[in-house]
Amino acid sequence: MIDARHISKIYGRGIYALRDLSLQVDKGDFVFLTGPSGAGKSTFLKLLLRRDVPTEGRLVVGGRDLASLTPRQVQAYRRSIGFVFQDFKLLPNKTVLENVAFVPRVLGVAASQQQRRTFQVLKWVGLQHRMSAYPIELSGGEQQRVAIARAIVNDPVVILADEPTGNLDPDLSLEIMNLFREINARGTTVVVATHDRELIRRVGRRSVTLDHGRIVEVA
Amino acid sequence: MRALRYFVSEAAASLWRGRGAAALAVLTIATGLFVLGFFLLVNTNLQQLIDRWSASAELSVYLNDGVTGEQLKDLDTLAERSGLVAERTYVSKAEALERFRSDFPDLAGAAGTLDSNPFPASFEWRVKPDLREASGAIEGLVAAVRHMPGVADVRYDRDWLARLNVVIRGARTAGVVVVVLLALAAGLTVANVVRLAAAARRDEIEIMQLVGAPFAYVRGPFVAEGVLQGGIAAVVALAGLAAAFFAFKARYGAAAAQALGADALVFLPPPLIALIVAGGMALGCVGGYAVARRVR
Repeated sequence: MIDARHISKIYGRGIYALRDLSLQVDKGDFVFLTGPSGAGKSTFLKLLLRRDVPTEGRLVVGGRDLASLTPRQVQAYRRSIGFVFQDFKLLPNKTVLENVAFVPRVLGVAASQQQRRTFQVLKWVGLQHRMSAYPIELSGGEQQRVAIARAIVNDPVVILADEPTGNLDPDLSLEIMNLFREINARGTTVVVATHDRELIRRVGRRSVTLDHGRIVEVA
Repeated sequence: MRALRYFVSEAAASLWRGRGAAALAVLTIATGLFVLGFFLLVNTNLQQLIDRWSASAELSVYLNDGVTGEQLKDLDTLAERSGLVAERTYVSKAEALERFRSDFPDLAGAAGTLDSNPFPASFEWRVKPDLREASGAIEGLVAAVRHMPGVADVRYDRDWLARLNVVIRGARTAGVVVVVLLALAAGLTVANVVRLAAAARRDEIEIMQLVGAPFAYVRGPFVAEGVLQGGIAAVVALAGLAAAFFAFKARYGAAAAQALGADALVFLPPPLIALIVAGGMALGCVGGYAVARRVR
């Protein structure tokens, strides 16, 4: 599903965010990217989201070479990806329902389908009773569950999560990880970047440790 | 259709959120469109006058007091052979005096104190409507008539109508320049308001980009916002113009209509109203698109 071969990302003045990184993730895998701050986890996710392209090497996702995509192909590619951020990135002026329905809405999905999918995923993350609430009225765990609902409402083949539990306490973090495990159990490839090694241990999946842009350990 | 509904609903919500700035943009565009509408309104009513004057444009051939019957016949023949004259009327000295008394009753007494009738007899030749633009031929006729025996002077209304047209064309050009400058200012204002809206919606835009929303969905609401602003501004401008027009008409309508020689002052015809609304929307569209095209 994800095939990174000798990729490097160099920012101005020759600073390597990633250096000669090679990594293969099969369809349906669940992979943790871990390492200290500045290790390159977020940069790698940024490349996977096609917000940037590698300076060197080749990154192929689902058979697409991400560096050679046209703007319209980037749009089509992103429709197959779900993303979750540490700061949730929920729209404060929209309700829970509107935040989740926003994705199918801007993708031009029919209103009846938008509603059906949104209800389904909100029920799945256990927030059907909070649909009319605004993000500010929700706890951190609830906000992250809304963000996860939004990430999966479009039925992506890959979920990318950047420090999704960074703002949550350990119990809530595990709860969120369980949601990712359930998503993964349905066949969706999941890549989670986190520096929380204890959480990785408790979830017990493959982890790739980065340091200074290189892979230093695969466990 | 679904996309259009989305654009309009998002644009309306965005306008409502930034209603202060949007109101400023609407007023700026409305000012430009009001000025445009004012020029068109004045032009519409002046055009009535010019059309009427043009329709009644005639060649007046003033005759010497001692003109003979033979000379009158020669003039009549010349007019007929020229093929330019649709209608020929002879006005005798007595009829000319009578007309003066009728047109200027206040001066009728003064005319009565004169020893002799000072008004010359004349021919009034109405030029064929389809030949009014054939200025070369008419000028040739005027020159020929001027040298005919028995003719004192020749006046052709088209000369001063042409001069009036030049003045009106100049005024129109000046009006167009003013309108273009106002349109430019309005376009820039729309662009700035839409840019503010884009800044306020940057989180939404980021999410739309990340989920792979089509460019049309990302940019459409900004263009729709500009179009809505322009459309609302056009309606505001037309409402203001109509209010001003009908207030003026109620107070000075009769006098102004008389001065223009028209039955009544008229408001803008529907095609011009549609033009102003379309112009406002186009202006807003350009302003909105200028911002939207930078959103990738």
